[in-house]
Amino acid sequence: MKLTIFNGSPRGEDSNSTILIEQFLTGYNRINSDNVSINYISKSKLEKERKEIFRNADIILIFFPLYTDCMPGIVKNFFEDIFELKINKSKKIGFIVQSGFPESIHSTFVERYLNKFTQRLKCEYLGTVIKGGVEGIKIMPPVMTKKLFSRFQDLGEYFAKNESFSPEIKKKLLKPYKMNFGRKIMFFIFSKTGMANFYWNSNLKKNNAFAKRFNKPFVE
Amino acid sequence: MKITILNGDMKKGESHFSDYLNNMTDKLRENHSVDLFHLNKMNLSYCIGCWSCWWKIPGRCAIKDDADEIFKSVINSDFVIFASPLMAGFTSSCLKKITDRLIVLLHPYIELRNGESHHKKRYDKYPDFGLLLEKEKDTDDEDLNIIKDIYDRFAINFHSQIKYMKLIDYDKFEDIIYETNNI
Ligand SMILES: Cc1cc2nc3c(=O)[nH]c(=O)nc-3n(C[C@H](O)[C@H](O)[C@H](O)COP(=O)(O)O)c2cc1C
Repeated sequence: MKLTIFNGSPRGEDSNSTILIEQFLTGYNRINSDNVSINYISKSKLEKERKEIFRNADIILIFFPLYTDCMPGIVKNFFEDIFELKINKSKKIGFIVQSGFPESIHSTFVERYLNKFTQRLKCEYLGTVIKGGVEGIKIMPPVMTKKLFSRFQDLGEYFAKNESFSPEIKKKLLKPYKMNFGRKIMFFIFSKTGMANFYWNSNLKKNNAFAKRFNKPFVE
Repeated sequence: MKITILNGDMKKGESHFSDYLNNMTDKLRENHSVDLFHLNKMNLSYCIGCWSCWWKIPGRCAIKDDADEIFKSVINSDFVIFASPLMAGFTSSCLKKITDRLIVLLHPYIELRNGESHHKKRYDKYPDFGLLLEKEKDTDDEDLNIIKDIYDRFAINFHSQIKYMKLIDYDKFEDIIYETNNI
């Protein structure tokens, strides 16, 4: 069966979702060299086209970033679109939700929605893989992303073999669910040394906006 | 009290839901200052995740459309009602579109609360939230629980809390007005 991927990042091709899809497919292609179609929800200006792609697909994976504790607006819009379709062919659908905050708890609420939504479509739910701490991977040195990438490759390889998510890898990616004591201490040290907000500060400085970082433009 | 109502109704033409909100706004205006935004009739774009609001022009959105009006109204309100007919088991994409863009009102800096990362406040004060929904044909209790839980999470991130979740086809109009008056 053919795999169809939807990339739900509002950033389109230049996104963390794209990087994770690439890693997933690297592993997938070790087993299965079929062409996988990748569709950018942000690009599909033609509503009809993405509906047809969905209608004709057998196995579907939808990658998206967590936006305000849920799916991004464009992804919700896509869901409304495909909900209108009369689907008469059984499909399998899985989701990969990645977020900025490192704890996976943030994404577990939308996961319940995704499960229910797949039932509504009368499709088979393959589950949701959750990964936190993904913002910034583009600029991280390879030593910091090595483990993440190799896990996504293994996830892809397992998927090509079994048409499902590896429960074991899924569980590893879920960590941390919340901050444990050790991580809280780390965070405390990081905030004292300014490391906690290094990502934001360096970008603020790069854009000459550091002095304006506390602006409150909409207060009356 | 100052109240903002975000109407996520996407129906074109006559709509029971939007009529309901218009009536509700009239009634609330007897005691409060109310801004009602019919989102689908405004020029609003989706967030593109560019982070300009956090590291280029702090506190402002780079997209030039009608959203500034909404940002201003929301952050200066005491109470914000997220209103939408349910579609595919959740509030509308039109409402989600503006919800995403509300991150302009937060600060990028991260703090730990209850063992979880959250963003710090940009403003001193944030409004409380209410949810006003209309069921779909197949809406069940599980759907409503999921929606409530997701909005509760969103409220935590917004230094806010969900004061109520109401269904226009179930809860009484007078009760919704009464509870809103007594937030
Ligand atoms: C508007 C907006 C809302 C976001 N909301 C959340 C959130 O609620 N929780 C979270 O952990 N990360 C949140 N993020 C961070 C993204 O999930 C994270 O940056 C992700 O890696 C972006 O992936 P992408 O590059 O594929 O779009 C948000 C980002 C944006 C732009």
